[in-house]
Amino acid sequence: MIEVTIQLLGFIAAAALVVIGIAGMLFLDNLIKKIIAFTLLSDGVNLLLVALGYVEGGVVPILIPGMSVSEFAARAALVFPVGIVLTNIVIGVSTTAILVALAIMLYRRYGTLKASKVLKGERR
Amino acid sequence: MSAYPSNLWSIPLLVVIPILVAVVVNLIYNRARLIKVISLASAICLALITLFSSYGYHWFTGQPALRPETLTFTFDPGLPAWRLALEFYFGPLQQAMIFIMSLILIFVVAVATSGLTKRQGPYMGMIFLLYASAAIIIMVNDFYHLWIAVEIGSLVVAGVVVGSGTSVSHKAALKYTFFSALSGAGLAIALALILGLTGYPNISDAIMYIQSVNLGEMSIILYVAFGFFVLSWIYAGGLAPIHPLKSEVYGASFPHGTAMLQTQSKLMLVAIGIVMLRVFGNLPFVREVMLAISVITMMLGVVMALIQTDFRWILAYLIVSHSGLVTVGISLGTTEGLVGGIFQAINDVIYMTVLLLCCEALYYFGGKTSTRHSLGLAKKAPWLGVAIILGTMAASGIPPFNGFQSEIILIQASLKAGLPEVAAVILMVSVTTFIALFRAIYRLFLKPPETSEPIVEAKVPMVLHVGLWVLVAITLIIGIYPNIVVSFITPVAEAVSLPWYL
Repeated sequence: MIEVTIQLLGFIAAAALVVIGIAGMLFLDNLIKKIIAFTLLSDGVNLLLVALGYVEGGVVPILIPGMSVSEFAARAALVFPVGIVLTNIVIGVSTTAILVALAIMLYRRYGTLKASKVLKGERR
Repeated sequence: MSAYPSNLWSIPLLVVIPILVAVVVNLIYNRARLIKVISLASAICLALITLFSSYGYHWFTGQPALRPETLTFTFDPGLPAWRLALEFYFGPLQQAMIFIMSLILIFVVAVATSGLTKRQGPYMGMIFLLYASAAIIIMVNDFYHLWIAVEIGSLVVAGVVVGSGTSVSHKAALKYTFFSALSGAGLAIALALILGLTGYPNISDAIMYIQSVNLGEMSIILYVAFGFFVLSWIYAGGLAPIHPLKSEVYGASFPHGTAMLQTQSKLMLVAIGIVMLRVFGNLPFVREVMLAISVITMMLGVVMALIQTDFRWILAYLIVSHSGLVTVGISLGTTEGLVGGIFQAINDVIYMTVLLLCCEALYYFGGKTSTRHSLGLAKKAPWLGVAIILGTMAASGIPPFNGFQSEIILIQASLKAGLPEVAAVILMVSVTTFIALFRAIYRLFLKPPETSEPIVEAKVPMVLHVGLWVLVAITLIIGIYPNIVVSFITPVAEAVSLPWYL
């Protein structure tokens, strides 16, 4: 029987967010809803990374005076996934900003946020 | 040049300088002359750094890939997983690829600053960020930088496309950014999976771990990671099935912007393709999947090019189709295939830039690129007619131009790998490229004009002439002396290649 740990719950929640995000981006017709779905996807990826770096009974990855290096290596939470999460948050915000800016520009031109109308091909 | 793994200062300059230029030109966004001087000087500076830099590593944190004393890998299963090794590697292949990109950057900057008046600063900043993202991907030897550079590159592509200011470009940028969000998230998941499996963000260390440990049931994680990598590879190069998105991006940008976009895209395809071969090359079906995507892209791209009625869009689809030519070589995974694929990427970037600069020049003769109406430009601009025909010959793989040399290597590599059907598709792409381009040339240049209306003509800037003829000369020189480039590629191809059937 699989033991239910915080890490496993984190992976399940992350997978759910990723699936909801992808489904929203693919199947919702409103541009703003698509963008919100993207933020869910991005959060799912972040949660996956955070769960990956989780260590049961771990400590923050800062070498505190009095702690031996071997104890630190054994107990410290993985620092690299946290670094990736921070980067992904920045990238997510930038991508969202660009998407919203483009959606606003297209709304001003077409007067609607329906992707099926706005993103329709134009005669070249 | 030394192979000693000292921490070279010249390597990060290839990333830091373009980022700094992007910041500065944004700050002085409305001072056209100053932007021109700074951008051109920086582009020339980047080319010189590439040319004269020593070979070696630059690592940001953790251990370098090689121990300086013994020149052995630092991989050690006993190392804690949080020990990092984020690094760039600059060798002959990186030098050749980044130098060609720098050369294209010089011409793109010169042409863009001679034609643009508004929004010059932000647009130029985007062009430099495009260069920085591609330079990182070419030099990188860790998954972290690879992912960041792919993400930055995708956002910047949207910026360059929007720079042309049309509603078509806004739509193309939005669609592309949505897909980039998906593939970027996929690449982050792939990075997480490989990190979780091996504990190493460094590509060399991760490969050493995968090869030295029996993964057993855990190898399924590698397959999933490969799937996400394929997604980002498809996205980076606009391979099938997202070729219409990438073609829209190319067609909706300014032609000089497209020149930079396709350069970034093709070099990214090579760099990510090599990483995929190194990490996943030993898994069954990996190269078959990559090869299938490449062949489908080649065929779809060239067929779509045939039915276009605008020279810009013909080029857009041909660029995508020729991306398939590049990836066929990489996917074969043999030494000849890799040499052919990488050589094709370099050649493709050059001759497609020739054709795109010709397209840019058409804007100075009334701005029409549609092939629905004949313009009879051969009498008006014979030099442009000659340049476009030479570019077409190079793109179609006609000797003595560079396209011939790389395509013949690709055909030989396919035959040697026992895949004559792939060789036949490569030949078909060459012939169809010629038909698609020559049909447009006939309409625009050779057929007498349908109306007696005089063509409004503006003076073509000297930089466009210079850029065009220098690049035509390079296609000819590489076509006659292919070893100038091949000698840079072969050592890497030999190191990465694997037998076709394991």
